[in-house]
Amino acid sequence: MKVVTGVVGNDIHVVANRLIDLSLQARGYEVFNLGVNTHLEEFFDAAVETGADALVISSLNGEAEGWGREVRLLKANYKTLDDLVMMIGGNLVVGSGNTEDIVARYKNYGFDLVCHQVDLNTGLDSLAAFLEERSQS
Amino acid sequence: MTDYAMTDGNNKLLIDVGSTYFKISTLDAIEQHFRDFNKGILDDLMAKCGETISRFGKQDIHVCSSANGGLSTLIIGVTNSFSLKYATSIAFNSGINIIDTILYQNIEDYSLPSDLIDVVIIVGGADTHSDLFSDSLYSYLKQLDYSNIVYVGTARDAPRIRENIKDVVVLPNIIDDRLHIVEEHLKAYLTNLYQQDIEGKEDIKHLYDITDNQIFPTPYIVNKALPMIDAKFSVTDPFILLDIGGATTDIHYSKDLVEDNIVTENEYDRLVFKRLGVYKSKQSLIFAAQSNEFVYELLTHLKVTENIFNEQNDKATKVLMQLAIFLVLCKMSHHGKSFINLKLLAINSIVLTGGITKVLTVEEIEIIIAFFYKKILTSDHNPVTVLDSNYDIWTLGAGGNQ
Ligand code: B12
Repeated sequence: MKVVTGVVGNDIHVVANRLIDLSLQARGYEVFNLGVNTHLEEFFDAAVETGADALVISSLNGEAEGWGREVRLLKANYKTLDDLVMMIGGNLVVGSGNTEDIVARYKNYGFDLVCHQVDLNTGLDSLAAFLEERSQS
Repeated sequence: MTDYAMTDGNNKLLIDVGSTYFKISTLDAIEQHFRDFNKGILDDLMAKCGETISRFGKQDIHVCSSANGGLSTLIIGVTNSFSLKYATSIAFNSGINIIDTILYQNIEDYSLPSDLIDVVIIVGGADTHSDLFSDSLYSYLKQLDYSNIVYVGTARDAPRIRENIKDVVVLPNIIDDRLHIVEEHLKAYLTNLYQQDIEGKEDIKHLYDITDNQIFPTPYIVNKALPMIDAKFSVTDPFILLDIGGATTDIHYSKDLVEDNIVTENEYDRLVFKRLGVYKSKQSLIFAAQSNEFVYELLTHLKVTENIFNEQNDKATKVLMQLAIFLVLCKMSHHGKSFINLKLLAINSIVLTGGITKVLTVEEIEIIIAFFYKKILTSDHNPVTVLDSNYDIWTLGAGGNQ
């Protein structure tokens, strides 16, 4: 399985990104890490170039909320990404918020898996389960 | 590639043939002449500088040229952020000026260019991916008129590409496994093609009558000089260099200025604005100026009116050059959507080379730069302007390791 990961927007929090890269590799994924400060378009473009099965996006500084609405619009421009699994995690709002609301909102933006302040391993378990389920259906 | 270190650096004649004028440089003097388009380049050159040229042996004469107009390139790639961007960057760094791009997934929506394309570049995919291209590519290519075609995408698709595209040259992927750029192979190929193009152009071919050395594209020479620039100027990195020519404008910039995913070995990259120049491309420069919302304010600031566009005098040329500087800076800021945006607030020096240095004074340039930073970037940032009025940069690059 191929996964593209990175930190979206003008976000320089790099620690989680390094951990995600290592954890994904340890779990046997082929990882393409775009690092910090990555534009949304670069994530989709990287998925096209690599044939990735999933995007695992981090956002730590809270800015993801700002451009969430653009996700579907942007993705609609791509003709080959219909099956791409979309996952996001980190601190998905500025300040605090109700997790249930946050998850619903991001699902609405087009994400399949939303991990607001969820620990990495728990998050990646859910990715594995999601991919597994999908391959069976 | 020629190794200049072998020749005696002190006794060389350097010749640069541009679209508008040529210049020749010896140890003690630089001459510059407008070209006479009723004559062939060599005849014209010999008529004006024959005496100087005859004082040098063929092995001591080095020629660079931008007069063949460069190669026209069409790049077909699968994404904007990787394949198209990387191939465009390599093409610019190889001295190519005319670049059009096609985003492969929408290939059916593009109209066919009517002119012959010198080289088509096909690119897409990391090597772990495959099946990126299919019939829509092959049928587009069937209708296209081109001289050369090169494939630099995923290695896995190379056999299919070879089967379906006649005479395609296959080179290593320009995208590596970490999605970083790999420049060398495509760059060598394009520089070579440029070379063959020069040799094929009747007019330029004759220049080999006076030199034993390879004729290089001028921008390639300038780019090569930049790491050595402190030998001649007090320039502080990061800097940009503007070469506003008769037909096109070249920008060379420190890599530190790019907020970008391109990671190359080069310290300096190049990009070109085609159809932005003060002689051959004057009309399109004026057109670009008229569609820029800040230009009228700038003209007022320079105490002239729009009528200056219709005038043909020294003042008009000065203003056109000033506008060219402004437009180029605009195109490179986030305001203009060029293929790369530079961190203009981080620039410490702006170096200007080429004919412009003979026309504008430092003050006339600084007024434009200050206006740009104030109006467009609302900042008091004030990089140092450096004029390369003796063509030292070109001399550095063309003369090699002296
Ligand atoms: C270190 C740090 C910085 C450093 C970053 C250094 C660097 N290059 O990485 C510096 C000082 C530069 C910095 C700057 C800023 N920071 Co800061 N920073 C932190 C801090 C203290 C630790 C982050 C960290 O590395 N944690 C360790 C890693 C391992 O944990 P993590 O990032 O939380 O990631 C875990 C999970 O979230 C999860 N995870 C992350 N991504 C994903 C993705 C998926 C898919 C999944 C499943 C899980 C997952 O896995 C990780 C391991 O469990 C946090 C506070 C905190 N204690 O968390 C603030 C924090 C992240 N920063 C914050 C802010 C606001 C900023 C600034 C805007 C401050 C400012 N005003 O200048 C700037 C932003 C700059 C920018 N352009 O992004 C806020 C964000 C607030 C929000 N979202 O509401 C925080 C939460 C502090 C706070 N409580 O206010 N910061």
